[in-house]
Amino acid sequence: MPVEGPSIGFDFSNYARNQFLGERMNGLPRATSTGTTIVGLKFGGGDTGEEEGICLGADTRATGGPIVADKNCEKIHYLAPHMRCCGAGTAADTEFVTNLISSNLELHAYSQGRPARVVTAMTMLKQYLFRYQGQVGAYLVLGGVDSTGAHLFTIHAHGSTDKLPYVTMGSGSMAAMAVFESSFKQHMTRKDAIDLVARAIRSGIFNDLGSGSNVDVSVITKNGTEMMRNYETPNERGIKSRNYKFRRGTTAWTKESIRSLIVSEEVKMTTGAGKTQDGVLDVPVPIGKGPGGEEGMDVDA
Amino acid sequence: MALFDQRPAYAHEPTVAPIEHRFSPYSDNGGTILAIAGADFAVIAGDTRQSEGYSIQTRYARKVWQLTDNATLATNGFAADGKNFVKRVKQRLEWYEHAHHKPMGLKAIARMIQTMLYGRRFFPYYVYNILGGIEEDGTGAVYSFDPVGSYEREACRAAGAAQSLVQPFLDNQIYFKNQTPAPGAEAFVPGRLPMATVLGLVVDSFTSATERHIEVGDGLEMYVVMKEGRQTTDLTDEGQLPAGMKVEELGSMGEGRGEKTFLVSMPLKRD
Amino acid sequence: MFLTRSEYDRGVNTFSPEGRLFQVEYAMEAIKLGSTTVGITTPHGVILAVEKRVPSPLIESSSIEKIMEIDAHVGCAMSGLTADARTMVDHARVTSQMHAFTYDEKIGVESCTQAVCDLALRFGESVEDDDALMSRPFGVALLIAGIDEKGPQLYHTDPSGTFTRYDAKAIGSGSDAAQQSLQDAYHRQMTLEEAAGLALKVLKQVMEEKLDENNVQLARVTPEKGFQILAEAELKERIEAIAA
Repeated sequence: MPVEGPSIGFDFSNYARNQFLGERMNGLPRATSTGTTIVGLKFGGGDTGEEEGICLGADTRATGGPIVADKNCEKIHYLAPHMRCCGAGTAADTEFVTNLISSNLELHAYSQGRPARVVTAMTMLKQYLFRYQGQVGAYLVLGGVDSTGAHLFTIHAHGSTDKLPYVTMGSGSMAAMAVFESSFKQHMTRKDAIDLVARAIRSGIFNDLGSGSNVDVSVITKNGTEMMRNYETPNERGIKSRNYKFRRGTTAWTKESIRSLIVSEEVKMTTGAGKTQDGVLDVPVPIGKGPGGEEGMDVDA
Repeated sequence: MALFDQRPAYAHEPTVAPIEHRFSPYSDNGGTILAIAGADFAVIAGDTRQSEGYSIQTRYARKVWQLTDNATLATNGFAADGKNFVKRVKQRLEWYEHAHHKPMGLKAIARMIQTMLYGRRFFPYYVYNILGGIEEDGTGAVYSFDPVGSYEREACRAAGAAQSLVQPFLDNQIYFKNQTPAPGAEAFVPGRLPMATVLGLVVDSFTSATERHIEVGDGLEMYVVMKEGRQTTDLTDEGQLPAGMKVEELGSMGEGRGEKTFLVSMPLKRD
Repeated sequence: MFLTRSEYDRGVNTFSPEGRLFQVEYAMEAIKLGSTTVGITTPHGVILAVEKRVPSPLIESSSIEKIMEIDAHVGCAMSGLTADARTMVDHARVTSQMHAFTYDEKIGVESCTQAVCDLALRFGESVEDDDALMSRPFGVALLIAGIDEKGPQLYHTDPSGTFTRYDAKAIGSGSDAAQQSLQDAYHRQMTLEEAAGLALKVLKQVMEEKLDENNVQLARVTPEKGFQILAEAELKERIEAIAA
């Protein structure tokens, strides 16, 4: 008989089971973390004549413990045409939560007949995250432009938010904030903003082990959103000093058995669905060649 | 449903319990070391990054130490223990030389390191050691140790943060594991690779570990110990080493038999 | 003679105004009463030979042990208060084993000798916290023979803790005459057989008793077989050989 619990709120009925499994196995499964540097700042506006906007930045390293899981992942997520959201924390959570809210924002835009505001996105995100009491490990930098101007927020996994002119998050937040604290100015030009964001991300890439690889930058103004994927690539892999192609036949085998994967079948014509139809073209499917051509992959030294 | 639902049976009551506080004397400073023995040389290498958690403490901390003309030691694990351990090994080498009027041989150093490590069986040096050099019979040798002194002579060994990434590569390239020789060709013999090949494998091990392990990077130091009479042009000649290397010959440390030690270094990625 | 020294020969660590340690000098005298012992180095190994005094026919002569193994490659012969040599040989054995355990190599012959001599000076009044010191100097001298990477070597140690390397050395009651004979007969290219013969001849010359396999002990250290004490049968053969 299932354990009766309250029908609202959190369900901890699997807690004991998971704890037990964790003890029996090598601990509970660990999620991929984006061990990250993400930043955002507001630029333009004021009396400068420079168009107001948001510049977001992120590194591209994803980690699982001390291992680099992805060397070039994308951490600036799409929310709406005029909104982007950088994610740090548990990779799956940042991806899922931004996707979900992106869908809801689009529905919101349809129902209201106008583009959703940045505060709306912020509110949806924080309410969702609060509901999960920090268990959904998404730490976000949200930026966008709407009818009320350019807005920049941070949202923590527990649901708290901040509205600030310059923000950083993730394991590299201190390294990046050090750059912002020393160099941020109100009403910067677009070019200066991009430079500063890139510099803050680089600071994370080089000084925080959780961050690495490339710099992604996104700029949002009322005239549109520009996504500069791999804006800088300061960590290109050098060439290997040796060549590791193996002679064909290097791998030993115990037996060889080759069989055709093509199945031929007798089909009897009937009337109805199986009947030859007018206007339908029979296209022959090429067979006998794999993705690397007739011989398979090139493995010879 | 009632507004204040009864607390379900599976929710634990809060309890008061004493909280244990304890001194934690160890930390893990990341990094990786590696050594490969050739027929008449040995390469002992390590990266130069020292880290704690997600922070880099320094981009240049030495992990490989020349002990004598024919022995070089690499340490990995807790950096403070590593430094102190090397200091004590060097002190013992000096005492030995005073007492016995000769430098300690590689095999003797290996055994001494075991006794030193086992002497701290119940408060160990949190250090993985790899000793490389030239044996008294003139062969290149590598000895690897665990923190409490279990040791073994091997043809190659990787240790530290990226051991799980590098050792399988070495098993394949040095011990020829999972490789069948061509029909009619000679069987593979480990420990007989030419120096240029070995150095190439060391460089590739470290550049690859740097790509996929966050605690590996910044710089690479390779100590090459050569048997007396071996051609030093094997290192200095054009094309023997991958591009961008700095080669430095280290002076003799005492009355060896003419073995030479070179320090070959190069930068690694810093992210 | 003793009257003049009496002021300064009580304490074992008291120097006389002339700068002498009489107790140590007396200990050296004890050796001159000991049985004659000979050691000879050759390029092929080292020979040790010692006279066993068997004062009564009721003594089981094989129970007199004057040559002892220290390690597989080192041995020693003694003269003087042989009971004291037990302590020294025990110490040398422990030191050799410790060295092999710590360094996975054989101890050097000199290092082994040095270890014995370090012990020889640990006599005197014990100080608080000091492990019990020995009350008097050892009354025995050793000839330590062995082979290491430096080749075959022979060392002489005395109660003062001094050690000296020799090509050939005699100690004990007949040492003066024996040393002279060694000096006359020794040459550097001796074979091991010649050295064994010489050692026995020298002993024969200085011994009061007639030389036989029961009143002499012979040992050799070779690179191939290390330290060996000759069995009575082989010893007998050799004695007969020199007689011929």
